[in-house]
Amino acid sequence: MKLGSYFLRRLLLLIPLLLGLSLLTFTVSRILPGDPVGLAAGPQATEEIKASLRKEFGLDKPLPVQYFSYIGNLFRGEWGQSLYSRREVASDLKVYFPATLELTLAAIVFAAVLGTLLGVVSALNRNKLPDHLARVVVLFFVSFPAFWLAMMFQLLFGLALDWFPIGKRFNILMSPPQSITGMYLLDSLLTWDWKSFRMAAWHLFIPALVLSFGALASITRITRANMLEALDKDFVRMERALGMPERVVIFKYVLRNAFIATLTIIALEFGWLMAGAVLVETIFDWPGLGLYIVESSLRLDFQPIMGITIIYGIVFSLVNIFTDMAYGLLDPRIRYG
Amino acid sequence: MARALSSKELRQKAREVQWEAFQRGLYRFRSNALSMIGLSSLIILILIAFAAPYIAPYPEDARGKTHVTERLKPPSQEHLFGTDKIGRDIFSRVIMGTGLALKVGIVIIFLASIIGVTMGGVAAYAGGWVDDLLMRITDIFLTVPGLVLAIAITAALGKGITNVMIGISLVWWPGFARLTRSLVLSLKEEAFVEAADGIGSSHARILFRHILPNALSPIIVKMSTDFGFAVLTAAALGFIGLGAQPPTPEWGAMINDGRERFPTEWWIATFPGLAIFVMVFSWNLLGDGLRDVLDPRSRR
Repeated sequence: MKLGSYFLRRLLLLIPLLLGLSLLTFTVSRILPGDPVGLAAGPQATEEIKASLRKEFGLDKPLPVQYFSYIGNLFRGEWGQSLYSRREVASDLKVYFPATLELTLAAIVFAAVLGTLLGVVSALNRNKLPDHLARVVVLFFVSFPAFWLAMMFQLLFGLALDWFPIGKRFNILMSPPQSITGMYLLDSLLTWDWKSFRMAAWHLFIPALVLSFGALASITRITRANMLEALDKDFVRMERALGMPERVVIFKYVLRNAFIATLTIIALEFGWLMAGAVLVETIFDWPGLGLYIVESSLRLDFQPIMGITIIYGIVFSLVNIFTDMAYGLLDPRIRYG
Repeated sequence: MARALSSKELRQKAREVQWEAFQRGLYRFRSNALSMIGLSSLIILILIAFAAPYIAPYPEDARGKTHVTERLKPPSQEHLFGTDKIGRDIFSRVIMGTGLALKVGIVIIFLASIIGVTMGGVAAYAGGWVDDLLMRITDIFLTVPGLVLAIAITAALGKGITNVMIGISLVWWPGFARLTRSLVLSLKEEAFVEAADGIGSSHARILFRHILPNALSPIIVKMSTDFGFAVLTAAALGFIGLGAQPPTPEWGAMINDGRERFPTEWWIATFPGLAIFVMVFSWNLLGDGLRDVLDPRSRR
């Protein structure tokens, strides 16, 4: 039961953080020198039109009043309206968020598997050729701008080789799987729709792969360092002396010890990848939070930007909480105080 | 029975030890081929940045000169990297953009580390409610991935390369604050802090003259490893369209420029992207090597 109360306490601590975040984005959105109302109203708009727009969106009230009504609405699930499209931010987020989450989850799985493997290989061949090679390869891929790499992969795998689609989440001529979570892979699994599953996976593969490169270097480095540390421990010598197969020693005991630190990095990288998705989505026309925030920021449309930032904040914080909880499951020595 | 050393001899001794450690570090850095490659390529990039107006074949193309007859030419002898949709030489623009990319990275890292080191240092040294307050502020910035917050802040400040640098610095400092805080927390228990306090040094002097210099190596490692990512982030904002406005030869914006004509006129976006890669890769190689030297635990 201790885990439950730990979780609850962390959730409660999240509230002041998110309030702080909302205050930050609110302040940022109100100090802007640009003129979002003028931009939304168009170049021909008269002062009266602008004034009525301001009134409609409550922008004529004093700032503290605006902030508190914004916060009140947030808790009621009303995240404001886009100045530009007039659509509800909350309903837009409901559509875009699962797309980004699916892309990021797929990417972090790629990065975790590849990075851990490379880290293990590096550690087992310390300072030999495979180690050096792995080091260069991960540094190589992490050094490309994600959006540029996305364009190159689109060209290579989408256009030249024609192995994968060049964008979007699904074939535009087909209807996507019945929406339960909004994540196509999961939805098609839940409804046993294998055709949709294959289609969604086929669209997801390249964007997720490109996105995963950003997290490879740190996952590999941490896994390597902690593998080396764990390999030095007495229990390893003991297990080897007992004649356990090397495979069991490495994967069951050493890796499990090293993996705890890797997990922290994976959680941290998850947030970075979710942000990196902004760029990858732009290239692959992936209808997620990234496309949404880019469009909104170019139009100075602040209601969506604030909503997206808060969604990012919530997910990022939850991931951190879950990671801390996962430690306990992997390492029985850790107890929650 | 050893004679007690005079303060002059002590200082001399300390200098010798430091010099030895520096030599050892230098040796380890030099024996790492990858970091030497990174360093040399960075030096070349810096030279290119300074010599840009003399080595770029058409330097005026970076300032907005257009050549309608030379539109969309593929790479050739006259135009090594081809030309863009208004006939500007991409090779010249890439060269002329080198200095800007370096400057953006330097400004971001310096602003972020100055804010972060001060915040983290003061928080750890003062402790109590000051620590709580500063760290909660740091936490707020860390609840959202940097790029997203940087987009929001830059959008609010308005498009432009200066605002990109401000926006990214404002989201970059919390990492430095966290790192510095943890370093200072352990350093402030050391005997030399007590000694400085004993002879009546002010708090500011103890923090900035005695504690922080001892915390420098991990901070320098972070500065060098972060540099590449700062350049990438700035290029990303340029690519989105929030950064440098035309005709500034900013690499990210140039890729955005070539996107609509990709892949038919592939060269417009490809070469600025490669330029970003070369710069970031060099920094990452260098940072990786520095980490080995200054943070021995990381590589064995």
